[in-house]
Amino acid sequence: MNILNKNQQGNPDLDQAAPFFEVRMLECIRQDVILFQDVHFELQAGELLQIDGVNGSGKSSLLRILAGLMQANSGNVCWQGQKISKCRYEYQRQISYIGHLNGVKNTLTALENLQAMGALAGSKSDITLSDALIQLELTGMDDIPLNRMSAGQKRRIALARLLVTKSKVWLLDEPFTSLDASGKSVIERLIVEHCDRGGITIFATHQPMEIEGCAIRHIHLGKK
Amino acid sequence: MHTHWHAFTVIFSRDIILVSRCRAELVNPLVFFVVVIALFPFAFGSDAELLKRITAGMIWITALLASTLSLEGIFRSDYEDGSTEQMVLSGYPLTLLVAAKVSAHWCLTGLPLIIIAMLTGFILSLPTQALQALFLTLLLGTPVLSLIGAIAVALTVGLRSGGMLLSLLILPLYMPILIFSMLAVENASAGLPIDAELYFLAGMLVLSITLGPIATAASLRIRLS
Repeated sequence: MNILNKNQQGNPDLDQAAPFFEVRMLECIRQDVILFQDVHFELQAGELLQIDGVNGSGKSSLLRILAGLMQANSGNVCWQGQKISKCRYEYQRQISYIGHLNGVKNTLTALENLQAMGALAGSKSDITLSDALIQLELTGMDDIPLNRMSAGQKRRIALARLLVTKSKVWLLDEPFTSLDASGKSVIERLIVEHCDRGGITIFATHQPMEIEGCAIRHIHLGKK
Repeated sequence: MHTHWHAFTVIFSRDIILVSRCRAELVNPLVFFVVVIALFPFAFGSDAELLKRITAGMIWITALLASTLSLEGIFRSDYEDGSTEQMVLSGYPLTLLVAAKVSAHWCLTGLPLIIIAMLTGFILSLPTQALQALFLTLLLGTPVLSLIGAIAVALTVGLRSGGMLLSLLILPLYMPILIFSMLAVENASAGLPIDAELYFLAGMLVLSITLGPIATAASLRIRLS
């Protein structure tokens, strides 16, 4: 599997440190078809990785494996030198995974959803919930149940998880689905800030991405 | 420990709010219960002696079916909207969160069911001792139904033909509860002590509280991977 390092950051402070996040020889087989093989990469603090590939090439499966929701058929995912299966709870407190399902409740209001998210988060950020809504341009929608919101607004509530938790690793599966241009730029800004703080972001999308102020590493799944 | 308790209460109160906003889920099992109980006298005629003998049994069987019916949806919406994934990844033991969900479910469906069952038992003129025994067995038995049922529901969540599979999986497991509850009611009507049956049911309850959520959490993880 080919890894293309497009303008990889040469951050001198971090070069000696152990890799934050390491994936070795990952293989995933679904219904007797090899989705991907020999996926390997290392990420240092502050790096941003895009997983791209055609539909059905295993982007979501790879993210689910990285989150620990799914087992790989072979290979390891290591977090700070430890296999994630060995330190499941510590690792899960450090990650925010947003899949293509939003993981929010339709009958709860925006605020109630954020409260539940914050309460269950392994590490909470100190942002207030109404601030989080303002940052996501959902001002004044605190008390509106999600079933009266549009798909894009629901997606924003789902992405609010990134604000109310203080995770080091963000795993985002098609984060920009149903977002408009301004929603997209809000999320891009959050990603840049996260990387500046030394966090890792791994996101899957088949669209070419450019984020200003942040170098994106790429990993390509499937045949070229 | 404190944060674990907090996570438990968050899920518990979230589920209470969710169900209270969706009244149908709350009312359906109760309506089912009342309608089925009302059908029995039509089928068996007005033979008071016969009805007296079968009342406790039909109340228990109907309660069992109503509980199965309501249990079916306990993980469905969470599974479909991705909340289950987030619960797995929350960094809290899934066993604990699942236990919170099952207890919230029992408080909202099991408890009202017991109250309605008592009322119908009273209306169908069950003798007092039998009514007491019925109350105690339902109080000990229905949480066991929820805890055992949750394991099978977790295994079948998201499957198209899950409903059929579910009843095949759990109804056999409910049999011991039904048998001992009926024994207790029968003995109580005859004026005999029912301690043995109650202790057995209490033992089943303790067993299912300790092991049920662990198995349910494991089944959910399997369904997700």
